[in-house]
Amino acid sequence: MRTTTFVRVVSLSLAMAVAGVTDVAIAADNDGLTLPPGFTATVVQEGLGAGRHLVIAPDGDIYLASRNGLVAMRDKDHDGKVDETVPFGDVQGTEVRLYKGWLYVSDDVGVYRYALKKGELAPKSAKETVVAGFPKERQHADKTFALDPKGTLYVNVGAPSNSCQEKDRQEGSMGQNPCPLLEKYGGVWVFDGNKVNQTPANGRRFATGMRNSVAIEYNEAQHALFAVIHGRDSIDTLFPALYNAQDNATRQAEEFHQINDGGDYGWPYAFFDTKLGKRVIAPEYGGDTNKEPPAGKYPNPLVAYPAHWAPNDLLFYSGKSFPAQYQGGAFIAFHGSWNRAPEPQAGYKVVFQPMKDGKPSGDYQVFADGFAGDMPDNNPRNARYRPVGLAVAPDGSLYVADSQKGRIWRISYQKP
Amino acid sequence: MSSLRSAFVSLSVMLLGAACASAADQTPPPSAAPAAAAVKPDSRSPGERLYARHCLPCHQSDGYGVPDMQPAITGGSWVKGDPKALALFVMTGGFGSAQRKDSANGNVMPEFRPLPDADLAEILTYIRAKFGGGGSPVSAADVTAARADLPK
Repeated sequence: MRTTTFVRVVSLSLAMAVAGVTDVAIAADNDGLTLPPGFTATVVQEGLGAGRHLVIAPDGDIYLASRNGLVAMRDKDHDGKVDETVPFGDVQGTEVRLYKGWLYVSDDVGVYRYALKKGELAPKSAKETVVAGFPKERQHADKTFALDPKGTLYVNVGAPSNSCQEKDRQEGSMGQNPCPLLEKYGGVWVFDGNKVNQTPANGRRFATGMRNSVAIEYNEAQHALFAVIHGRDSIDTLFPALYNAQDNATRQAEEFHQINDGGDYGWPYAFFDTKLGKRVIAPEYGGDTNKEPPAGKYPNPLVAYPAHWAPNDLLFYSGKSFPAQYQGGAFIAFHGSWNRAPEPQAGYKVVFQPMKDGKPSGDYQVFADGFAGDMPDNNPRNARYRPVGLAVAPDGSLYVADSQKGRIWRISYQKP
Repeated sequence: MSSLRSAFVSLSVMLLGAACASAADQTPPPSAAPAAAAVKPDSRSPGERLYARHCLPCHQSDGYGVPDMQPAITGGSWVKGDPKALALFVMTGGFGSAQRKDSANGNVMPEFRPLPDADLAEILTYIRAKFGGGGSPVSAADVTAARADLPK
């Protein structure tokens, strides 16, 4: 497979060298992204600011949530590039989904919806509040959500804390036990997505022990909720007698789970250590790097992804145009690390997770890479792009949104 | 069923190891850094070493922080201003940033008052020189004097 790619690149280089085109132009062929053979990336939207999640309507219209607000986009002449861009609404946040003629969106404190008429690009209807009143927090505040076919609304309520220490992020500070944050945060709360004007008190805690699950998705084929959970930061600076910088950069998994009603996924008491291949007690709660929680107390992840990669979107591939191996599998957008410093940062890629019947069926594969570029000073702010949102279009192509410039790519497949 | 599942989890973990190895162009193998450190003596100044230990994981090597996560030191007013005020800022975790929920998004800053005065002086000297446009050194006595103004 690798050889095939190499040969293709070389022959392309030769052709372009003859035509007087530099290697830079070849890289620009996929806008600098690397993809498996047969896949092509084109830039749909150059950039609108700090993009987050996105969704593609059945008619191909694109809806992007961003830190700067919501944007509707249309490719009127079907040349693969957006040529009509309409900002709308007054919601600055991360999530955007389509459900039965409604556009559902969220910010840090609530979930809202706009009725979307057929043929309409930007909704003209007034915003309705589905649920609002989550406390304003500074960290892990994005209220990303998923909807099932009945309209059950699953809201990620991230914990406003790294590890529920008495003093958040303070060296040596021990964990609060029990962690009081879990009463209102650190899990998934369910609401009736068809009802308006709900408050957090109308919700029911569906699952707990989840530090922050920006990447949350309902799998209709499996009738189950899934999430990729952000693991904890800073085991080395908080407990330097137990862990060093290299441990912190590599050991705490980003955990992929099926999220079950009543499930407890372990935060803040324990984390999954990829080096040991098991869940260990967090140092704030008496962990000694090896001590395990009682057997069976918390489920192991379906897959443990490398530390700090920052899973920010999850999507089960339901399109038809990608090869058979992609059907039913999961794409995960990893925003990329900051807490690996001074070790090299990592992540900044879209990963494909093969799955069968809701269970991983093989090793994950790096699907799209090269987003970050050289990233001078090992600082995420210097990343060229950071993938953050995923969507499938009606034609089966995969759309990826970036948070650095708000760029959007369309990744399509043609049999090589 | 459950034994099948746990077998799969161990398989996933093994595969994860393999995947990490194949991503070696991005992440050096675990042995690389200590080996290099053993061969090459640490030429960093005490301030740079202490910055790397206590500050760099959040504020990064260039002092610019991470957008939406941790603010920049570089170019800010604290690092260029009065050394005593800077010492108080660092010792109090940005004057209790943990309690301020109305400010911009981002992580809280821990309190660095447990660090010895000499270590704090090295850190402050380093960041003032590197990120504060060449500010004057800060002595341990300066930090001791600032410490007297800490809230009890």
